Amino acid sequence: MQAAKETELEIDPLAPPKHRWLWLALTLVIAAGAALAFIGWYRFFREEAQPAWVTATPEMRFKYGSIGAERDAGIPYWIFYVLPRIFPEKLPGPGGYASLGVAWEQGQELPIGFTKKTIGFPRVANTCAACHTASYRSRADENPTYVVAGPGHTLNLEAFFRYLIDCAKDPRFTPDVLLTEIALVTELDWLDKLAYRFLIIPMTKKRLLEREAQFAWIYRKDFPDWGRGRDDAMNLTKYFMIKASMDDSFGPTDMPSLWNLNKYQPEKGHVMNFAGDSHDARSVIIDSALGVLGAAPHDRQDFLAQVAWLHDYLGKLPAPKYPFPIDADRAAAGKTVFDAHCAGCHQSDRTGTRLPLAEIGTDRSRLDSWNKGAAIEANRVVRAMGIARKGLVEETLDGYVIQFLDGIWLRAPYLHNGSVPTLRDLLEPPARRPVEFLRGYDVYDQEKVGFVTEGPEAERVGTRYDTQQRGNGNGGHLYGTDLSGADKAALVEYLKTL
Amino acid sequence: MTVRRSSPLLAAPPAAPAKRWCCHAFAILAALLLVPITAAVALFVRFSADEPVSYPDIERHFMYGSTGGERNSGFPYWIWQVLPKVCAQYLPGEGYASLGMIYERGRTLPVGVSMRRNLGLDRVFLNCAACHSGTVRDTPESEPQLYLGMPAHQLNLMAFENFFFSCAADAKFSADTLIPEIDAQAGKLGLLDRYLVYPVAIGLMRERLLMLRERFKWTLPQPAWGPGRVDTFNSSKALFNFPSDRLSPAERIGTTDFPSIWEQGKRKMRDNGQPMQLHWDGNNTKTEERNKNAAFGTGTTPPTIDLVAIGRIEEWLLDAAPPKYPYPIDERLAARGAPVYAEYCADCHGASGQDFHGARVGHVTPLADIGTDRHRLDSFTPELAQNLGSVYAGYPWRFTGFRKTFGYANLPLDGLWLRGPYLHNGSVPTVRDLLEPVANRPKSFCRGYDVIDRQKLGFVSDVCAEGARQYFRFDTSFEGNGNAGHEGKAYGTDLPADEKAALVEFLKTF
Repeated sequence: MQAAKETELEIDPLAPPKHRWLWLALTLVIAAGAALAFIGWYRFFREEAQPAWVTATPEMRFKYGSIGAERDAGIPYWIFYVLPRIFPEKLPGPGGYASLGVAWEQGQELPIGFTKKTIGFPRVANTCAACHTASYRSRADENPTYVVAGPGHTLNLEAFFRYLIDCAKDPRFTPDVLLTEIALVTELDWLDKLAYRFLIIPMTKKRLLEREAQFAWIYRKDFPDWGRGRDDAMNLTKYFMIKASMDDSFGPTDMPSLWNLNKYQPEKGHVMNFAGDSHDARSVIIDSALGVLGAAPHDRQDFLAQVAWLHDYLGKLPAPKYPFPIDADRAAAGKTVFDAHCAGCHQSDRTGTRLPLAEIGTDRSRLDSWNKGAAIEANRVVRAMGIARKGLVEETLDGYVIQFLDGIWLRAPYLHNGSVPTLRDLLEPPARRPVEFLRGYDVYDQEKVGFVTEGPEAERVGTRYDTQQRGNGNGGHLYGTDLSGADKAALVEYLKTL
Repeated sequence: MTVRRSSPLLAAPPAAPAKRWCCHAFAILAALLLVPITAAVALFVRFSADEPVSYPDIERHFMYGSTGGERNSGFPYWIWQVLPKVCAQYLPGEGYASLGMIYERGRTLPVGVSMRRNLGLDRVFLNCAACHSGTVRDTPESEPQLYLGMPAHQLNLMAFENFFFSCAADAKFSADTLIPEIDAQAGKLGLLDRYLVYPVAIGLMRERLLMLRERFKWTLPQPAWGPGRVDTFNSSKALFNFPSDRLSPAERIGTTDFPSIWEQGKRKMRDNGQPMQLHWDGNNTKTEERNKNAAFGTGTTPPTIDLVAIGRIEEWLLDAAPPKYPYPIDERLAARGAPVYAEYCADCHGASGQDFHGARVGHVTPLADIGTDRHRLDSFTPELAQNLGSVYAGYPWRFTGFRKTFGYANLPLDGLWLRGPYLHNGSVPTVRDLLEPVANRPKSFCRGYDVIDRQKLGFVSDVCAEGARQYFRFDTSFEGNGNAGHEGKAYGTDLPADEKAALVEFLKTF
C-alpha cells in the first residue's frame, strides 16, 4: 500500500499516463457501446410522427391516424406488405387484403383503419376506423363512398385474424422466403436485413403464434363464421382483455355505427353496447381501443388524450344523410306510422335503455357471451392499468338496448346480430324474413333499405349468412309486422330520413 | 521515472533482428497475398459492376437502352443467343425474329432488347421499344421500315413468354447442353465462367423462369394474344400473386393492343384542365405511374428500376411526334372528310392528329354507350385498383392514381395510320372496317403482317402466310376478342360510302 503510494508520487506529470492504451481501449469500447446503443434505439425504438397529411383533417386522423397500437399489436410493415404475395391462398379470395372487405380508398397505400408508423422500423396497426367505416354504392358500376364511423359491414374481421395466424403457422414463414419477396419491392439496408432476418421476422412469427391460443374459439368447427361485418365482441374482450379460458359461448354482432355518440346520456339512464354492457361512451372507446392496442398503453397520458379526441370527434359527428331521393309525401305518411308504432321505443325516454329479452325476443346468444363476473374482472384489469372510467356494468344483463335510429339507412343488416338484411324485411314476421342471404356487398337497395343480398357480384364478395345457425336467429322484434303493405312502405320511406 | 524512459532503449538491441525477421515475413506474406488479393480485386471489379450499355442518342437509347430490368430479370447474353437453337422446337420459326422481334442490319440483339453488365455478366432483357416499335412495308417486296413509338403490332409477346417458360422447363435447359453451345457460338469460355459463373447463372435463370411460369399460368386458358397484344392488368395481378384460379371468370381476360406512345405532353392536359385518363379504360391520369407500371413488363422492380434511363425516354416522349403518313393523300377527298370528322369524331378524339382539343377527349365513355368488348374493362377490378396504391411503397413516387372506371377512354388519334388493328382489343383490322356496322366487320382476319393497307387504313389483314412465315388468325368470336361497339349513327357507321371514304382519307393526315 505504502509502496504503491510512493510509486504514484514518483510519476512525472509530463510523462504519458500509465496504461494509456487501456484508457484508449476503454474509451473506444464506451464509444462503440454508445454507438451500438444509439443504433439499437434508432433501429428499434425511435418513434417518428406520422406525416402531416395523416392529421390534416379530423376525418383523415380518424381514418389513418395512429392510436398507438403499433408498439404491441403492430406488424412490421414489410412483413405485412409481402404476406398476401406469399400466402394468397389463405385469404378469402384473390385481391390481397382487399379480399377481406377492408374500406380501402383507391390511391391510398393502406386501407382505412390501417396505420403506418415508424417505431424503430415502419409498422402497421389498426384503429377504430378499420371496423367502423361503412361503404355503399348506388349501383355496381360505381366506386364506393366510404362513411367514417359507419358500420364496417363489408369487413371480414375473423378472416383477417385467422389470416395472420395461419401465415405464421406456415412453414414458409421464414426469413429466407420473406426477405426474398421483400427484395422484390424495396431495398433494405444491410442492418435492416440483419434485423429482419434475426430479430423482426422470428419475433413476429412468435408473437402471432402466441395469439393462437387466445383465438382458439375462432377456429371452432361447431361455431359458424362471423361473416362480413360482424365480430364476437364480448368474447374478444373475455379472451384478450381478461384472458378468460374458453367457454362455450358464441355471440357475434354487427359492427355498430359510432357517429353522434353524444346522444347517449348516462344521466338519463342510457347504456351502451348491444346489451347495455357499458356505462358510457368514454368507457366503450377505452375498452375498444385497448382491444386494438392489444396491451396496456405504453404511454397512458397519450392514450387518454387519444381517447378524449375520439370521444370529442365521434360525439359530435352527425349521422350521414340518406344520399338517394326520398318520396316526401310517402315519408310524411310514414311519420304517422312511425309515431304510432315505433316512437314509443325508438324516440322516447326508453330509447338507449335496455328492453328485456322476454319482450324483444331476438337471438339470445349475444347475452350469453358475457356475464357479471367478466365485467368485474375487466373493470379490475383496466383499473390496474391506471385508467379511470365508469366502465362495464357489473350486473347480470337480461335484454338488448333500444337503439337510437340516427343514420339507420346505413346500418344494415338489422338487429344486433345482423340477421335481417333490410328494414323492409324486418317489418315481416320472422317466418317471412330471408332464411339465408349474402352479407358484405355494398350496392344499396333503395327499395327495401339495406344492401343487395343476391346476384353474381354479391356472390363474389359476400359471405353467406344462415339464420338457422348458432347465434344467427332472426326471430323477435315483431313490431310493425302486421301493418299493411302501404303502411310498411311509407314507414320505410320515413326511416330513410332519420 | 528514468527507468521507464530508458526501458525502450534497453529493449532496442534485441528488437532489431526481430524487426528484420518481421519485415521478411511481411514481404513473404505480401507476396503470398498478392495473388488472392489481385484475384479478389478482379472478381470484385467483375461482379460488382452495374453498367448499362449507354446510347447518347435518344432514339438509340429508346431502342437499345436499359430500363434497369436486366438487374432483376436479365438473361446472360450468351444464353439468350443460344436458346433459339437449343429450344428451337418452342419457336414458330427461325430465331427471335419469328416471334416478331425486329433486327436492324448488323446488330446481334433486336430492337427492344437492352444489355447491362451486372453480376459479372452481360445481361439482356426487354425495354420499352420491344412493345412500342414496329415495322411497315409499302408492298410485300419493300424493305421493312422501322417506326419507333408505334404499337409493336408484329410482336407475339405471349409466344415470347411461352418460349422461355417452355425452354426453362425442358431438360435441355442445363449447363451440360447450354455451355457447349455457348462455346460453339462465343468461343471457349474461361474456367471461371465454365465451372462457376454460367452453371450458377443457368440455375438461377431456370429457377426464376419456372417461378414466373407458375405466376403466369393464368395465360394458358386464355385465347392466344397473337401478335401486337398483351394482357396488362392480369399481369399486374401476377405481380401481387393473386391466385389466378380463384379470379372470377369475368376478370380473367384483359388482352389489348399495345398502344402508341407519342405526344405524351399533350395528354397531360384535356379541355377541362385535368390530365387525360390514360390506359384503355382511363384508369390513371398520371403518365409517370402509367410508365412505371408498364416498366414492370421490362423486368424492373421498385428497387432495380433505372429511373434516370426511363426519365430520358419520358422526356423524349413528351414531344415525340408520330411519323407522317408517307404516301400520297388525295387532298380534295381529305378536305371533304374534314367536316365529317369535325361533326362525328372531334368531340371525343380531338380536333386533329396534332390538336387534341375536344370536350370529351381523355374522358371515359361508359361501357353502355361505347358498347365495345367488356373483358378488358372487367379485368381491372376494384381490388386491383386498391392494391396498386401500395406499389412503390416507401418511395416518393408511390402509385396514387389508379382508379376503377366503368368504360373506355376516348383517345387522341395521333399517328392513327400506324395503330391498326383498331379498338382496344385490336378486333377490327382497318379504319374503314371500323366505319362499318358490326355485322359487316370481318369476323376473322390475320394480324402481324406489316404491309400497309392504304385503301382501308391499317395493315393488310387477308394475308395469312408469307413464305415460311405464318401470321396469326384473329377470331372475333373468341372471348375478349369481340368486335362490337363503337357503332351507330354517332360513331359514323351509318354514313354514306363516299363520306366514309373521305373520312378515311382525312384520317391519313393524323
